[in-house]
Amino acid sequence: MRPFKYTHVNTVQSATQLVSTHSNAKFLAGGTNILDLMKEDVERPDELLDITFLKVADIKMITEGPNKGGVSLGALSNNTETANHELIRLNHPLLTQAILAGASAQIRNMATNGGNLMQRTRCPYFYDVDMPCNKRVPGSGCGAMEGINRMHAIFGWSSKCIAVYPSDMAVALAVLDATVQVANSKGQQRRIAFTDFHRLPGENPEKDNNLLPGELITAIELPPNKFASHSYYLKVRDRASYAFALVSVAAGLELNGNNIVQAKIALGGVAHKPWRALRAEELLKGKEATEANFQAAAEAEMNQAKPLEYNRFKVELGKRAIVRALDMAMNNGSK
Amino acid sequence: MEANKLTGTPVDRIDGLLKVTGKATYATDYPVKNMAYAYLFKSTIAAGTITKIDSTEALKVPGVLSVITHLNAPKLNEKGGLRGGALLQGPDIEFYGQHIGIVVAETFEQARHASRLVKVEYHKSEAKVDFEKLKKDAVPSKNEDLKRGDVDAVFNQADFAIDELYATPIEHHHPMEPHATIAVWEGEKVTLYNGSQIINGAQSSAANTLNIKSENVRIVSPHIGGGFGSKGGQWANLVLAAVAAKMISRPVHLALSRQQMFNSVGLRQHNDQRIRLAADKDGKLLALAHQTTTHCAINDEFVEPCGDCSKVMYEVPNSLISYRVIPMNIIIPTYTRGPGKSTGSFALESAIDELAFKLKMDPIDFRLKNEPAKDPSNGKPWSSRKLVECLKEGAKAFGWDKRSAQPGVTQLGDYLIGYGVACGTYPARQRDSSAIIKLIRTGNKVKAIVEQAAADLGTGTYTILTQTAADGLGLPISQVQVTIGDSDLPPAAGSVGSVGAASYANAVNEACEKITNELLAKSGKQFFVRPTAAQLMLSEGIDAFQTRMDAKSPEGADAYSAHSFNANFAEVWVNRSTGMTTVKRFLAVTAAGKILNPKTARSQIIGGNIWGIGMALTEESIIDPRWGNFITRSLADYHVPANLDIGDMETIFIRENDIIPNKMGIKGIGEVGIVGVAAAVANAIFNATGKRIRHLPITPDKLI
Ligand SMILES: Cc1cc2nc3c(=O)[nH]c(=O)nc-3n(C[C@H](O)[C@H](O)[C@H](O)COP(=O)(O)OP(=O)(O)OC[C@H]3O[C@@H](n4cnc5c(N)ncnc54)[C@H](O)[C@@H]3O)c2cc1C
Ligand code: SF4
Repeated sequence: MRPFKYTHVNTVQSATQLVSTHSNAKFLAGGTNILDLMKEDVERPDELLDITFLKVADIKMITEGPNKGGVSLGALSNNTETANHELIRLNHPLLTQAILAGASAQIRNMATNGGNLMQRTRCPYFYDVDMPCNKRVPGSGCGAMEGINRMHAIFGWSSKCIAVYPSDMAVALAVLDATVQVANSKGQQRRIAFTDFHRLPGENPEKDNNLLPGELITAIELPPNKFASHSYYLKVRDRASYAFALVSVAAGLELNGNNIVQAKIALGGVAHKPWRALRAEELLKGKEATEANFQAAAEAEMNQAKPLEYNRFKVELGKRAIVRALDMAMNNGSK
Repeated sequence: MEANKLTGTPVDRIDGLLKVTGKATYATDYPVKNMAYAYLFKSTIAAGTITKIDSTEALKVPGVLSVITHLNAPKLNEKGGLRGGALLQGPDIEFYGQHIGIVVAETFEQARHASRLVKVEYHKSEAKVDFEKLKKDAVPSKNEDLKRGDVDAVFNQADFAIDELYATPIEHHHPMEPHATIAVWEGEKVTLYNGSQIINGAQSSAANTLNIKSENVRIVSPHIGGGFGSKGGQWANLVLAAVAAKMISRPVHLALSRQQMFNSVGLRQHNDQRIRLAADKDGKLLALAHQTTTHCAINDEFVEPCGDCSKVMYEVPNSLISYRVIPMNIIIPTYTRGPGKSTGSFALESAIDELAFKLKMDPIDFRLKNEPAKDPSNGKPWSSRKLVECLKEGAKAFGWDKRSAQPGVTQLGDYLIGYGVACGTYPARQRDSSAIIKLIRTGNKVKAIVEQAAADLGTGTYTILTQTAADGLGLPISQVQVTIGDSDLPPAAGSVGSVGAASYANAVNEACEKITNELLAKSGKQFFVRPTAAQLMLSEGIDAFQTRMDAKSPEGADAYSAHSFNANFAEVWVNRSTGMTTVKRFLAVTAAGKILNPKTARSQIIGGNIWGIGMALTEESIIDPRWGNFITRSLADYHVPANLDIGDMETIFIRENDIIPNKMGIKGIGEVGIVGVAAAVANAIFNATGKRIRHLPITPDKLI
């Protein structure tokens, strides 16, 4: 790894100020992603600002503002405590399931909520500095496009990049209509709707999300929802744990008897950001919660996919996963 | 020798405490003074030549001591016995990731950083890396074809036949401890701390490669963090550490990163195996052809013997075993757990299951019907063969009678449930090994030191040798100290090919007998009941006594065919919507001669089983044919099974008392545990889903 300076910051203000004045400085949270990438020479900051002591680590009920009655997750609380927090287990069990489907217990103990949203793609060409990659070195080409793209996107990719965003937590957050709260060096706060936080690659795959330089995530807010008892996170992967998703589905059903008032569905492992299945959601609105309706909605969504050479299976797998996740959500997780 | 008291009992692992407290010393755990750190850098093309190496920037990095490439490396003997070349002897590149240089620095981080600043230019030539495109050009291999009768003629007229291709991907060993070496020179002599499955082999190959005498090389390897064949033959790291240490006149630490493990220390090759099987309507096998096409290094051949199981498993009058190979720009393959047998049994035992299904026969009955009275490949009698017992005991213990013969009908909720069976075998051999026993008396206590250049990969060598010596000398475990893993000790076989336990324990056992006889002679007395060596030390008041035994495998063993056998049973649950498979239960029934320690033996067997499950479901190394590089470069991409992938594991050993292969009746269990496992899982998946997957690993996409 390249030599770098290690700095310890105590306030949000000093963290954002330092990062905005030192263009090649980066935040260090749990370190589970950035340190690996530095060892591989993919990330090359010359300064790491350790933010683990910032006081943005609590998980609490929101008592005012637009998300009143919801829960605020500190950017620096770790994935394990978030998943197991009473407020989350009770009100947002979908998030618990999604976080626990990711990584391993040891990594979740270190990984922070902010770091989770900022983790980078697992595209193997991105990780190998001897391969071309537009995300790592803009203009160098996309190694995966004509390569082994079994793990890559089927929605929303561009000719520049076909990477998928790897987080499980984020797929649940997309369904939970979360907002990301960020602070900048001028002491200003900004809120970003979760579905606008990550972006599609377009012409600029080097940008994973819409965070501006110097901005720090301080919290993630979850509004109250009406589908806590009818939600499910399904992750399909090559081994039972410690593997990234081939396809994952976060599903929440707001029901009136057997009628769907509103369905919320997001897919992971298929795009450069958590993929809200808006077409499927639209089709399910007001319909009866039946297998046939689930099937029709899943087909409608997945038929828009644009698979690549080695990931055609994701289209069929996605259909099946949507149906099963909705089924499981109906049955409150057991079937 | 006194009646066995300790061998055969589940004594706790002697080195267990050391390991769980972090005190066991692996290759890089030695606090050597004044040590420098080396980091390898590798080619980024698969074929061609290096035209320029510019180390200017690397040498400017603070702490960097030296950059070693083919331009300044000393001349080595490339035929000295190391595997895989890559010794910095010239500009030619034979595979992607070949070592092309070393940076040596004060710290590991400095060395790694500087290694990335070395600029290398190449003249690239066309690389042979695409197996699918090249396989039509495969040529006969050094493994001889074996023909009996006329397979083609019989096959074409048989009532029941199958002709299928089974493919297994490139796999990697990935021991927990990546390969690493510390080299320390003192004058003409070099000490190499290096995990070695064959201590004396590592010594001679290092010496030959360095063009120095064997006695000037010492290998220290008391603990090995796994190897699975990749630390059997040694690789360039062993000698390059010594080269670097010599060049900078300081001890050097050279460790591979996990990413570097993919193209530094061999691999299990991709195999295409075509199986043709024919039987009559009563289920008697008529013909078996097992034809393997595979790849080897561009200038050196290694071919896994995939047809080995097919030679001995079943009675079949017409048989053909053949190998075709393509030299490719990929690192040379090497021995990998159950070499040939684990991959070969996937093909053979899947095919047997397929044919049994066609015949509407239970796959166990089908196998029983074709049980050979003697080794069909050479006509020799079996020293013992308990495959029938393995199958029958296993069927009973597993509840095989609950299996539906019709696939796809057993369901629970969203899961399809299936049972599968498959068998395996591995040869049993003893190799020459020596041992020294030293007895020391202090007051009324006798202590024994057992010395042998044996290896313990984490398998239990320390433990079984302690048990063997304790029994042979009449001492408690606490009074026996086993010292192994050092080339200064009496030479011994490697812990490879399932020969370790038989070779080591028989040598120690014979040394115990010898020392007892010598003490008896020394006493000059006659005893009514033969005393133990420990008793003689006390009764004769001897302070110290020692002997050395050079043990050989018993004469006449060659007249027999000696093998371990097993039967593996798997219950799988396949999720109907997602195609994800779980092995809920796995049972391995093994007949492997005398089991010295049921506890370490069980660990060996389930370790093999788990790798076999990984082989069936998850493990695969993938090459991008445009460059010839592995795109699976870490343990996040190369999926060994995680805890959650493994269900109930059960192990049964069939009692066997077979002293033909060696006096103690040990057959070895290191390899056989993985043989037959992948087929048992694949057969269970067929039983669950009706889908026959012939291309491993069986990932969810193949089942939807
Ligand atoms: C082997 C392995 C398997 C994994 N498997 C999974 C999986 O299956 N599913 C899954 O979802 N994840 C998985 N992960 C990823 C893991 O969830 C992430 O590594 C983790 O969430 C990152 O959090 P961190 O706090 O360690 O971030 P760090 O590594 O410290 O930081 C990551 C990035 O985020 C930036 N950053 C951190 N905090 C902030 C902040 N508050 N504001 C702005 N920027 C910030 C850093 O500057 C850095 O660029 C896996 C990781 C590993 C190593
Ligand atoms: S898919 Fe994106 S991340 Fe992967 S190689 Fe292409 S540009 Fe890089």
